[in-house]
Amino acid sequence: MSFSTMLYTMGEGMLRTCAIFILTILFSLPLGLVIMFLRRSRFFIVRTITKFYIAVMRGTPLMLQLLMWYFGPYYLFGMNIRGYRFAAIIIGFSMNYAAYFAEIYRGGMETIPQGQYEAAEVLGYGKAQTFFKIILPQVVKAILPSVTNEIITLVKDTSLAFTLAYNEMFSLAKQIAASQTSFVPFVVAGVFYFVANYAVAFTMEFIEKKFDYYK
Amino acid sequence: MKKTLAVMLAVLLVPAAIMGCGSNSASGNADAGGAKYVFLEEDLGVESYAIGFRVGDEELAEQVSGAVQALVLDGTYAKIGENYPEIKDYLCLTPEGIDESTLPAKGSGDSSFTFKHGFDLDYPPYSYRQDDGTVGGFDVELCQAVCEYLGWGYEAVPFNWDAKDMELNAKSCDCIWSGFTKEGREDDYTWGITYSNNTQGILVPADSDIKTLADLKGKIVGVQTATSAYDMLEDSQKELADTFSELKVYETYTVAYNDLKAGAIDAIAIDMTAGSFLIADDNK
Repeated sequence: MSFSTMLYTMGEGMLRTCAIFILTILFSLPLGLVIMFLRRSRFFIVRTITKFYIAVMRGTPLMLQLLMWYFGPYYLFGMNIRGYRFAAIIIGFSMNYAAYFAEIYRGGMETIPQGQYEAAEVLGYGKAQTFFKIILPQVVKAILPSVTNEIITLVKDTSLAFTLAYNEMFSLAKQIAASQTSFVPFVVAGVFYFVANYAVAFTMEFIEKKFDYYK
Repeated sequence: MKKTLAVMLAVLLVPAAIMGCGSNSASGNADAGGAKYVFLEEDLGVESYAIGFRVGDEELAEQVSGAVQALVLDGTYAKIGENYPEIKDYLCLTPEGIDESTLPAKGSGDSSFTFKHGFDLDYPPYSYRQDDGTVGGFDVELCQAVCEYLGWGYEAVPFNWDAKDMELNAKSCDCIWSGFTKEGREDDYTWGITYSNNTQGILVPADSDIKTLADLKGKIVGVQTATSAYDMLEDSQKELADTFSELKVYETYTVAYNDLKAGAIDAIAIDMTAGSFLIADDNK
């Protein structure tokens, strides 16, 4: 196999890797917000269920979760899972990462002193207004470095999608390494992950600077 | 910033350069000294490769097995074998003894049916990613020929080997056909025809002092997880495995082979076809 064929073949895998990455970010960032609100709910039962959900998502390997999301419908309900593979991967990744993001958001929320809510109320802000105009801009700023961490982990975790026979970049690297008895595909994979994560870090740094509004 | 980036890229590229040189010099030595890696004459045992279907899928198993036999009669089976020199000697089906009247006729399958072929892409030369980046291998070509013969559609399902049973039971694929060993799994599947034999052997560097299985005493032996070689060393060859100083279990043979090259392990337990494929480049 020539080096260009290898790059071309792995390039297709990179597109699939990017697809997982982008869709997971798209779904898990907002979903995390919802979970965070449920986690901070006034109702004990909602709070407890959410806590349990987060515990399961963080406490079990993502690989097992992916298997569960994909094969679960068949084994539990005898459903036909043909064509469901990709959806299962996105659901699995999004649900898992949303749990982590929810806890990061919560961490950010806890840093806001109670006094600010009281002040907002005195000034006649509604609940939604308080959250979006006063709380959120401060929270976003505080949590960005942790979110960057999580996103970088996601880039590398995409290789777990091969559990469900999704031929993303790293599984292609393994296949080419097996057929060519060579380590070069792994080096290519390493460079790809590094460049992708460098881009993530660079973008996040840019965003952090944009949020530099209290200085 | 740019400077840091340049330094980091340089650091990343150094191992690539070293690896490039490493493989070049390896083949250079091979030119001078012939085979660099050899199999011990003694082997660990023989196994048969067959097609595994869901338990109870007798009809499908019979149809596919019949089609394979028909392909043996018309010469397609041997012709595909010619493309894979590592496998050629292990193909066990011959036209003798096949009763043509019992076989399904050409094009007799349901043309609306798509046969989903489940296999592992990490298993050259049976099923692997080929030089042009496409999916291929002996099993893939034979399965495609079977589908063509019966008039079925063909769908490749390259799955994760660890999840093969879940994929099969959940009907994501209709068979496991990927250098799949029958021994020890007789009751777990409805088995189709055995189309290839394979011998499990021990691969060592040609200049190694290991000449017999007994010489493996106190040595480090590598093996890939979830392979027949591994199963044998855990079961029928357990006594032998106990004499090793360590049995190192790898995720793929590629890594084990690099460890052997680097001298970190002394031998690899592997089947002859996969092993021949592994060493082919270095023994040129």
